[in-house]
Amino acid sequence: MKIVKIFIISLTFLVVFGHKLVLAQGGLSAYDIITQSRLSFFYAGDDMKAKVLMELVNKNGQKRVRELTMLRKDYEEGGNQKYFMYFHQPADVKDTTFMVYKYPDKDDDRWLFIPAINLVKRIAANDKYSSFVGSDFTYEDVSGRKPEEDTHTLLRKDILDGKDCYVIESIPKSASEYTKRISWIDATDFLPLKEEFYDKQNEVYRRFEAQEIRGMNGVLTITKRVMKNTKTGHRSEATFEDVEYNLGIGDDIFSERYLRKAPVQWIK
Amino acid sequence: MIIMSGALFFNLEEVGADVSKFHGFAEMDYGAKVSDDNTKRDNFNLLEQRLQLKTMYTFEGENYEPRGVHSHKPNVVYGYLAEKSSVLNFKGDFTVDEYFSGKTDFELRELNITLTPYRLMDAQFGRQIITWGTGDYLFVNDLFPKDYISFFIGRDDEYLKKPSDAMKLSFYPSPANVDFVVSPFEPNTIPEGDRLSFFDSFQGGIAGVNSDRDLLEPPLQLSNNEYALRIYRNFESNELAFYYFRGFDKNPTSYKDEAARQLFYPRLDVYGTSLRGPTSGGIGNIEFGYYNSREDSGGNNRLIANSLFKVLTGYEKDLGSDLKIGLQYLYEQTSDYGNYKANLLPTDFVFDESRHLLAQRITKLYKNQTIAVSLFNFYSPSNRDGYVRPTASYNISDQWKATLGANLPWGEDDLTEFGQMKRNKNVFFRARYSF
Repeated sequence: MKIVKIFIISLTFLVVFGHKLVLAQGGLSAYDIITQSRLSFFYAGDDMKAKVLMELVNKNGQKRVRELTMLRKDYEEGGNQKYFMYFHQPADVKDTTFMVYKYPDKDDDRWLFIPAINLVKRIAANDKYSSFVGSDFTYEDVSGRKPEEDTHTLLRKDILDGKDCYVIESIPKSASEYTKRISWIDATDFLPLKEEFYDKQNEVYRRFEAQEIRGMNGVLTITKRVMKNTKTGHRSEATFEDVEYNLGIGDDIFSERYLRKAPVQWIK
Repeated sequence: MIIMSGALFFNLEEVGADVSKFHGFAEMDYGAKVSDDNTKRDNFNLLEQRLQLKTMYTFEGENYEPRGVHSHKPNVVYGYLAEKSSVLNFKGDFTVDEYFSGKTDFELRELNITLTPYRLMDAQFGRQIITWGTGDYLFVNDLFPKDYISFFIGRDDEYLKKPSDAMKLSFYPSPANVDFVVSPFEPNTIPEGDRLSFFDSFQGGIAGVNSDRDLLEPPLQLSNNEYALRIYRNFESNELAFYYFRGFDKNPTSYKDEAARQLFYPRLDVYGTSLRGPTSGGIGNIEFGYYNSREDSGGNNRLIANSLFKVLTGYEKDLGSDLKIGLQYLYEQTSDYGNYKANLLPTDFVFDESRHLLAQRITKLYKNQTIAVSLFNFYSPSNRDGYVRPTASYNISDQWKATLGANLPWGEDDLTEFGQMKRNKNVFFRARYSF
């Protein structure tokens, strides 16, 4: 009887504090890992420039291409950021520019410049789950999500493609596009190697995979990433080329002036 | 200015520069008419092919040496332009218009050079399209020329804006940004009866090819140049702007000689302001404009349009799942209406003192944003008229796009803004190949 009691107490202890025990070994909580992962993925360097080639492929293999130059400048680690994008392709959106002021605690400010009518349009930005340029990536996938918005649990440690990683379950605290997200996060550099998004039926409907990671300017960067909609078979592959960090991109670039007159020295 | 830009453009070859690649599109447009009027054709009001070519050339390199045989000295002009990050832009449309029996035309939409002579200043010279203000299809402080024929027959939105031959100077000191534009007068392109019917007071109703008005533009001279100024800055997420315009009414609203059926574009000053920013989960905007009719500021002349006050408010929200709604409300109030009425002759048409106009836009995207379905609806309770503009477009591939839409203006009266257009209803189709 006494043994059973001890067993039950031990079991309760394990269930209640089990995660903490497991975590204590690595010294990092699930929340810490997600926080660090967001910094490694979305805040690498003080600023960044990349040429992004995105291929949107439907289940029949029909391919569409989006090619853009992206500039990013961080104002605070984990805090405010500014993005500037210039579209090279496809032809009907060539020369279009797009600017985002990203605030973790409130809706982004977004501006779109439509060259055909020389119009700077303000874009309503309260839906962070809408598709980014028709791809399977949402705005949130492109610019990050605050760790506080989910409850994170470390499920286990795993090995993915020969890399040690943490497997973390994230449950949104309030209504979200997904009901559950499972992330495989590299235990060394904290980059997300894989993510699975679950819907209300508890089925995976989107899957993110980092297919190529390279050191660029000494910063480990996911240079090829894929997001697949497992329900529709549509997938989006983004390849980052010419990635450079810490270029000292001026604050003035992120303005209506350069939306209308794209900064040639940066977007080439 | 245009000629200078052109000369520069075609000189590039000579100085050994490579003009970067041409882009653009080829397009076929067809708009079948679904109502009868007295215009040139009964069955359609849009049938044309269009080839748009555009290119840009960036001046680069500090120690540029020309390859040409004309000179062994560095090209000073080129060097200056390269140093000032200059870009030359060209965009032109070749058209074959079956409405006018296959008439071929070339429309130069842009030919301009932009440069940054000083760190906090940009300049743009030549033919260019200029847009500002906060409205969606509704304009208060944007007094740059528009093409309403293109709009009502179903050409791409791009053609609602007409180019201006202008000098645009932009300044970016820290307190606020300033745009200053000087250009010769260029009127709006409005229905004249051959392609679109409209209310012609000389004909006493909706007129087509029977209209024989004479529109008198201000003569091309320095004193008739138009000036437009915008001063703007952001306060956190909000954008505040002030506007000033000095020029002419873009529409021939006033009578020069009634017997000779002559209309003219009266002098006009516009003072305005706008504010745009995030409002309850969407984007809100408000814009004011006071139109001072300088040739009839007291409103006593029945032949010249009175001064006017306009206010436009709007709200746009993203409802998620690629669904967006936009709402706008425009109010226009004629100044000195008592004077206007007191001076009317018994045979004159009487226009209302004020106008309320509501506009809604709903846009929904499907299939990874390749299908866009949109409904734009204007409705004026005061004029008892409106304009429904449904469109659906499909990006078949990155190159091919098909658009189907309709222009459905309606109205109880013949002389209101949309009521006069009611016999121009059409259903249009466009197929475009972009390259």
